[in-house]
Amino acid sequence: MQQNNKSKILIIATNHSSYPGANAVGQAHISYPSNTYIIRVPDPVMFPEDFYINSFKKGISGIIIMSSGSDCPYEGAYKRLSKRIENVYIKMKELNISTERLRLTTICTVCREAFIKEISDMERIVSK
Amino acid sequence: MSDNNLNEAQKRVGVYVCHCGGNISDVVDIKKIVDEISKYHSVVVARDYVFMCSSNGQSLIEDDIKNMGINRIVVAACMPSLHELTFRNAIQRAGLNPYLYEHINIREQVSWVHKDNPQGATSKAILLIKAGVEKVLMQDPLNAIRVNAEHRVLIIGGGISGMRAAVSSADNGIEVVIVEKEKKLGGKLNRDGYVYPSDEKAVDIVNKFSKKILSNPLIKVYTESEIINIGGYVGNFDIKIKKTDGDIDNIKAGSIIVATGFDHYMPYDGEYGYKKSDYVLRLKEFIELLSKSDGLEFVFKGKKINSIGFIHCVGSRQNEGIDAPQADGKVNEYCSRVCCTSGIYTMNKLKEKFPDVNVYDVYADIRTYGMESESLYEIASKHDVIFFRRPLDERPQITFEGDKIKITTTDILSFNERLEMEVDMLVLLTGMKPSEIDDISGYLKLSKSTNRFLQEVHPKLRPVEMNINGVFAAGTSLSPMDITESLQSAQTAAMKSAILLSNPDIPLDPFVAVVDEERCTGCGRCVEECLYSGAVTITEKTIDGNIKKVAYVNPAMCKGCGACVAVCSERAIDLNGSRLSQFEAMIDAIVKE
Repeated sequence: MQQNNKSKILIIATNHSSYPGANAVGQAHISYPSNTYIIRVPDPVMFPEDFYINSFKKGISGIIIMSSGSDCPYEGAYKRLSKRIENVYIKMKELNISTERLRLTTICTVCREAFIKEISDMERIVSK
Repeated sequence: MSDNNLNEAQKRVGVYVCHCGGNISDVVDIKKIVDEISKYHSVVVARDYVFMCSSNGQSLIEDDIKNMGINRIVVAACMPSLHELTFRNAIQRAGLNPYLYEHINIREQVSWVHKDNPQGATSKAILLIKAGVEKVLMQDPLNAIRVNAEHRVLIIGGGISGMRAAVSSADNGIEVVIVEKEKKLGGKLNRDGYVYPSDEKAVDIVNKFSKKILSNPLIKVYTESEIINIGGYVGNFDIKIKKTDGDIDNIKAGSIIVATGFDHYMPYDGEYGYKKSDYVLRLKEFIELLSKSDGLEFVFKGKKINSIGFIHCVGSRQNEGIDAPQADGKVNEYCSRVCCTSGIYTMNKLKEKFPDVNVYDVYADIRTYGMESESLYEIASKHDVIFFRRPLDERPQITFEGDKIKITTTDILSFNERLEMEVDMLVLLTGMKPSEIDDISGYLKLSKSTNRFLQEVHPKLRPVEMNINGVFAAGTSLSPMDITESLQSAQTAAMKSAILLSNPDIPLDPFVAVVDEERCTGCGRCVEECLYSGAVTITEKTIDGNIKKVAYVNPAMCKGCGACVAVCSERAIDLNGSRLSQFEAMIDAIVKE
């Protein structure tokens, strides 16, 4: 996979779902670029909209929010998260930040292929 | 001095980098990491060790806490689910609050995924560890929340593993609920035939366990029932069981053992001639046929059977591009482990009953592992079973000529000669495949391996433990294994569950919302945003002599999702152990270089 060494991709991964999913990718020894930084969170619903904007301003090139989606153990959290991200997209447009640089997706504990695809897609976007 | 009152200069961080044998150090430059991290602010000591999780590794941390006054710990090692508790316990033994610790995963998320880029992997590890230092510097000491635990274990599946786990759990005084989808207990052992190595009748084993279970007042059995939802957490799982009559029972359990077993691999129509002829059988079908066949001659559907061919690895050890993929597009690359022994055991049974039947065995590799099982191969040789070894990437060809079945194969044992043999019957040694338990694994968010079986946290260090606290797995839900191994894993799961439930309460991580009452304006946005009614409320408090409305978090009801954190403009509500400011500091560290 092509790697952009300068850009940094932040991956927000959930304790229950996508963080174990990222570990499953490791256990399968599947390679992906090293400019990816995973932070483990209870649920991305905890982040205010400005958290994403400030992260871009600080120098993060792309953010992939790997949520638990409809499997989320916190019932209703995904709906609130989606609404929050919609608002972030509006702010990004106002600030002329490409909305492609923020991706909300769902990764389960065994979603190895989907995990790799998300990174590959974001890698392409931040390399532009 | 209380840790809460330490100023920045008094926070002394120790960083411990694990080689994990060579799993980490073969890819990342550990020396470079330690050199660089040693110079990072607030880091008093950085060390590396071949296995940080070992007693010696843990002692390094404990000694530094005691002798150097280290009061914040960062461990860079494998995934946290494996050893977070190990290091917390070590830190606690040394007298430090166990939550003043951050675990950085540089194995599954660095060395194992960046093997082709050691330099990038090393740089990434350094940044992640620096981010971990920033996070732990802002970490407060916390105390575990203790919750009452239900002294009841739910066992999903009433096969041999589930039955063994039930009996062992009840022997330890734990209440048991077994949920079985079939009409009676026993699972796949409810069949004719014998089992190795004890030569017992399969149904006798089922009956022995069933009697114990059905006469034990601590064990409740639901048959023809299914689980339609599981919620809650360790100590307090909420389970909905749909019974035969359609009624739903709600039960609570402190722990769960998943013993859902396996499914037999079913050859597709035409695979090695299956379903093209009545005389091509799966091993399971052949065992049942053999147990019902008596007399001097082996006769099936009017035809005298003089010769039988056996084909190994049907549905197992498959190769991409050679074998047809499964429903998920993948082939079964794993070895089913029991088919060789079971097949050769059955060949011996056949020869004991019908010694004149010629037996031809076509295999790629034979695994009759175990002291007693190994002798089965020798006995088969003495019975004049003729073995042919095919190349791993070649499949025997099956054709039909009259009432004969022709097997054509390359035989490595005769220097790759192409051989043809005609037989009256063909038996396919079909393997195991994971049972369809997407509903159960979905409710519990269980990890699965690339082979689609349930995945233990670690097969050696934490066998039968699943990624969800309080959930264990037993038997062939984990991987192909024989009855002896299934019983062992079921016993292990039952013991681990009993240890967990041996105390009246269970410690839970204290990662719940917390309110800074000085900052809080009592606006109530957090209450509106909270997903759990009653977890956050507004209350009146006297602060500095003034009555003030502030948010109050009920720690027993808060699930720690953090939805409230995002909407607080005053940043007065936050999550213990996962504060917003901690993540911001981590990002600052990641983007700094």
